[in-house]
Amino acid sequence: MLPARAIELAIVDLGACDACGLCLPLCPPGAITLRRDGLRIDDEACTGCRKCVAPCPVGALEMVARA
Amino acid sequence: MTAERVDALVVGGGPAGLIAARELAARAPRRRVVVVERDPAIGAPVRCGEGVGSAGVAEFIDPVGAPWVSRRITRVIFRAPDGAEVRVAEGDVGFILDRTRFEPALAAEAAAAGAEIRVATEVTALARAAEGWLATLDSPLGEARVQARIVIAADGVEGMTARWAGLDTRVPAKDMESCAQYVVSGIDFDPDAIYLHFGNEVAPGGYAWIFPKGVGVANVGLGVVALRANGCTARAFLDRYLEREFPRGVVTGMTVGGVIVHPTIKRTVTDALIVCGDAAHMINPLSGGGIVNAMKAGRLAAHTAEEALAAGDTSAGALQRYHDAWMALLGEDHIRFHRVKEALGKLDDAFFDSLARTVNGIPPRRRTLGRIFASALVRQPSLLPVVTKYFV
Repeated sequence: MLPARAIELAIVDLGACDACGLCLPLCPPGAITLRRDGLRIDDEACTGCRKCVAPCPVGALEMVARA
Repeated sequence: MTAERVDALVVGGGPAGLIAARELAARAPRRRVVVVERDPAIGAPVRCGEGVGSAGVAEFIDPVGAPWVSRRITRVIFRAPDGAEVRVAEGDVGFILDRTRFEPALAAEAAAAGAEIRVATEVTALARAAEGWLATLDSPLGEARVQARIVIAADGVEGMTARWAGLDTRVPAKDMESCAQYVVSGIDFDPDAIYLHFGNEVAPGGYAWIFPKGVGVANVGLGVVALRANGCTARAFLDRYLEREFPRGVVTGMTVGGVIVHPTIKRTVTDALIVCGDAAHMINPLSGGGIVNAMKAGRLAAHTAEEALAAGDTSAGALQRYHDAWMALLGEDHIRFHRVKEALGKLDDAFFDSLARTVNGIPPRRRTLGRIFASALVRQPSLLPVVTKYFV
């Protein structure tokens, strides 16, 4: 059986993201970084926990199946 | 790559970082103090309702005739879920700032005191050095390294500096307010008042606010806790609020962001590093206000940093006095406010509606917080343990 982390991962819609950074302290493994060129989520570090998704004020984050 | 050497590297050019830099540079003119700000301008973009208490801000910078005051506020109007209004304060309440001018004013003072301000410069990595920290900076000029004897992490809600240094700044979802705000023109309200509007339909887990920027123009925003928001975003709640309250208002600006309503992080210092402001969760958990708190923490950080630099001991043990001073000043209060917030969060709209009616039965001049709480207790005896424990 695959570990839970292998099932889903968070992705960001950079067109919708306002780069407010709210999701960074919500991410348990610290997989999200915010640089001048926008938000990035480290696929390897994301555990698929979804904690970042609902709090996004503009709904820019969603979960997708891992390839 | 050779590293530039500085005494103090301040990460973040907001109220916490700029006051820390100003106070540190003023106390020790020989020290090299560098502030780095990720955004290309100090004070922009604004991610804030811009409200502050007048006494708090005047401790740090003179508001008389200041170009960074958008509006003086003399009244607070609470609105119950059913729309009933309760006026609880009259007098010198506070200001609505223009933060695009407020932070530049602080930055000018920090620079005049001897600090160096670098915009469009972000810290991308942090590693322990023989003395202090080695920071990797990225700017349009390229990558650079700075070795700092001490780092002051004032990088806000999204700050990662403290986390890179091994401190725990994670926030539980229940303590994150997801906020959205519009600047709205052409609307009718009392321009001398701030409005705070409560209710599960309006803003579950938070409140909506109207903060006047002038006559007929205001910051209209709200914060919600996502766990209570039934899958709706803060922006969706705000659109609904605007449609109901100000259907003819003209939206000329929008901002979103997170407000951490969690008590101060357990450890705000580690070896050669101090965390202050939003990055250390120093926001008032009941009001969501953080600007003055950030400046107070910045000042405490500067004092401790200078003592540590002068003594040649920047160990976590030497910096602990900053943490203790903050906890005594406001941190302990915030732990109590956080518990009150959790107790209030369990009450329904009907409770607040009936409380508003009761409080409106008290003559305005006698509406003290104590009497409001007493009225609340009559309505909701389950609040008694909270109130006796934390207010008596």
